[in-house]
Amino acid sequence: MSFARFIIKRSLQGIFVVWGVVTVVFLLRFSTPGDPITFIAPLDASPELRQRIAEELGLNQPLYVQYFDYLTGLLTGDMGYSYISGTEAATRIFARVPATVELAVAATVVAIVISIPLGVISATRRHEPADYAATTFSLAGISTPNFWLGIMLVLVFAVQLNFLPTSRRPVGIVQAVEVLVLSGNYAGIVLWLQHITLPAITLGTYFTALVTRLTRSGMLDELGKSYVDAARAKGLPETLVRYKHALRNTLIPVITVLGLQLGTLIGGAVITEAVFAWPGLGTLVINSINTRDWPLIQGCLIVIGSSFVFVNIAVDALYAYVNPQVVYD
Amino acid sequence: MTDDRQSRVSRRRYLQLAGGAAATAALAGCSNDSGELNTETPAEGANDSAGGGGGGNDTDSSDDQNNQESGEFAVTITQGQMDSGLDPHDHRETTTDIIVMQMYEGALDRDREGQVIEGLAENYEQAEPNRVRLTIREGVTFHNGDELTPQDVAFSINRIVNPDVGNLASPQSDQLAGITEAQVVDGERAVDVISDGVNPMAIGLLASYGDVMQQSWVESNDNSYINSNANGTGPFQLSNYVQDERVEYTKYEEYWREPAAVDALTITSASESSTRVNQLVSGETDIIVNVPPQEVSRINSNESTRVEAVPSTRIIYNGMRYDVEPFSNLQFRRAMNYAVDINTIVSEVLSDFADATGQPTLEGFTGYNPNIDPYPYDVEQAEQLVEESGFAGATIELHTPVGRYLKDLEIAQAVVGYINELSNVEASVNQRDFGALAGELTTGNIEDMPHWYLIGWGNETFDASQTLIPLLTTDGALSSWSNDQFDQLVSQAGQTANADERESLFQEANQLAHDQAPWIFLNRQYSVYGASSRIEWQARRDESIKAYEIMQP
Repeated sequence: MSFARFIIKRSLQGIFVVWGVVTVVFLLRFSTPGDPITFIAPLDASPELRQRIAEELGLNQPLYVQYFDYLTGLLTGDMGYSYISGTEAATRIFARVPATVELAVAATVVAIVISIPLGVISATRRHEPADYAATTFSLAGISTPNFWLGIMLVLVFAVQLNFLPTSRRPVGIVQAVEVLVLSGNYAGIVLWLQHITLPAITLGTYFTALVTRLTRSGMLDELGKSYVDAARAKGLPETLVRYKHALRNTLIPVITVLGLQLGTLIGGAVITEAVFAWPGLGTLVINSINTRDWPLIQGCLIVIGSSFVFVNIAVDALYAYVNPQVVYD
Repeated sequence: MTDDRQSRVSRRRYLQLAGGAAATAALAGCSNDSGELNTETPAEGANDSAGGGGGGNDTDSSDDQNNQESGEFAVTITQGQMDSGLDPHDHRETTTDIIVMQMYEGALDRDREGQVIEGLAENYEQAEPNRVRLTIREGVTFHNGDELTPQDVAFSINRIVNPDVGNLASPQSDQLAGITEAQVVDGERAVDVISDGVNPMAIGLLASYGDVMQQSWVESNDNSYINSNANGTGPFQLSNYVQDERVEYTKYEEYWREPAAVDALTITSASESSTRVNQLVSGETDIIVNVPPQEVSRINSNESTRVEAVPSTRIIYNGMRYDVEPFSNLQFRRAMNYAVDINTIVSEVLSDFADATGQPTLEGFTGYNPNIDPYPYDVEQAEQLVEESGFAGATIELHTPVGRYLKDLEIAQAVVGYINELSNVEASVNQRDFGALAGELTTGNIEDMPHWYLIGWGNETFDASQTLIPLLTTDGALSSWSNDQFDQLVSQAGQTANADERESLFQEANQLAHDQAPWIFLNRQYSVYGASSRIEWQARRDESIKAYEIMQP
């Protein structure tokens, strides 16, 4: 099967997965307690006012009609309107995507920059202090709840040391780069770095620890294989043996995990976003759940689910680059 | 040897990487970001200097430092949530109110203690039992420079009460209860506000609700534009609006009163209370809302921050359904009140950020009865009343929301704990999702309501009627009680134009409610804020935050 056919096949599968997500999320709405009208209308609103609101929002329609309307709307990019503010759900949701993607990517970068060198050192210096330190670090990282880590980082680096800001995202990376390109002013980039550092470390720590362990075990496995002995026998420098041959093969499972984790980070940044008042999808989901703003909840979950599907397809495609032996079927 | 050499190389490379990361962090942490003011694109607002606040931080506070260097007084307020849009007539939440009230104002207003004062109307009178006359102030301009007219005031009131005006079925229509329309008075700079009958509440309602918009501006823009732009007469004008993130304002120099002391204002949000507190103590914001009692000491122990607490307009109570046993019995309901030590709950659970109540109307409201004290804590009396009621051995369950009100679950647990101290009643807590609980309370059918529940009620009108009618009259939207005498008293009060008589009738109704105990009377919630010492500001009773009242020390 050609690469193009593989991508088409996976994309079609992805569409069915997203449809499944849409259906499950839509049905969830009817199985959870709490009438959205309770949050829209004042507590002492008359039954007539409640009825009027229900009619305006289409909540008095039969379930299948609401489902069909929602599906047809989605096909045209219409995710409905926020129950609370009356604004377009799609506009609200996509305005939040950059912040979440920025955070997820930054956390991934933090993880890669720290974990892969750490994993390699740990594997090549097995049973030495560096290995124990790296193993301990990864154990601690995996065991630390990120809401606690986030709060601690804020207390130490922002509140006590005044080294970094506690929270918020006053500028996005796109905007900062735009200013840099147009005016040569790097202040926006610095400001962005100041604000994203702690959230990225918080979100990336678990990931860092995971990839460190994965890299270590993969490297140990590869370094014990015969092709490594052959490479050494040929007189290749150890650096090339480790980084060009062994590490490249180690990266195949690492890339799989990176891809899956990037999807997880996009969907799982909820707590980190709340701790750092980061205006991404996570905080929007929480606020929307608190007010039963179902068009926003549904839209966010669909975007998160779709990003999972997309990232997985992209990861599969990346295999070809990393390992030409991969056969698409 | 090769391994060692390679190890050294690896270490060096690793250190290079780590050094790069550290340098990045150091750059982020230490760089002088004096260029921050220029990071906003012009399209996003010309005045990013509104961002940041507080001093003492070398990161976000750089704005403030810049502002101080330029003599500008910039203030940031952090709420729990942002707005649902900027249309002043298209929302019901306090969070949106606070964002909108910096730009819009009504014909009448309230002072910090809740007393009615003039706003855009320089004079007001109850011309007839069903008519209030507002004399509109001259020399007031909207932020677009156009002058305020009586037509704008009438249009704004009509836009709220009449769904055919201004392309909006306003969710605030019931806030102006009884008011049917507003008319410009021929030949005078005045507006008559008409009610459908005797409406002694009208002036009070107009002081709490009814922001004034410019008719021509509303009619020439669609709702989406109105929800993301602003054109009021208030002390601040909109400079930058990023929905769900922040709202930035600048002082309106042509304001009809003295221009505000604050030059630039930013309102932003953080849903986590600990995040808000961190922002405050780090000097990144100047006012934060909803400080939980456990964070109070952290704020007070910081030399540049303080706690501002004020009794709010919200009462917390336990409703008991009069139509089901054992709550149908008067002795049993009174016993529940004697069983709960509300003063200890106020001091221990709420850290004294609350007042004990003994009647539905709060102190300072029209109709409050100063002769009523909270029920005393008397276990013996409670047990005796339970025995007399014939419901000894009763098992009851308290339905409570979690996280909706200050320490709501802890209050419910304390109440249940006290009742369990009685030898003849067994109580338990049922933690409920607020939406589900509120849904059961608001169906209009008493049989859908839990038998015993904790709920809170805010009343910004400072008038007993807006508590007694919805919560305790037989037809009240949230009532789980019925008493003919009480209904009659409230009805009489609603039909009299005599203020003294009205007050007296409400006081009598409050006494009856105390005696009949349809609720376990709990506490008046406080609004607890954190504030920076770089601003002079006092919290208001009506839960609003008016940046116009903020001064430089």
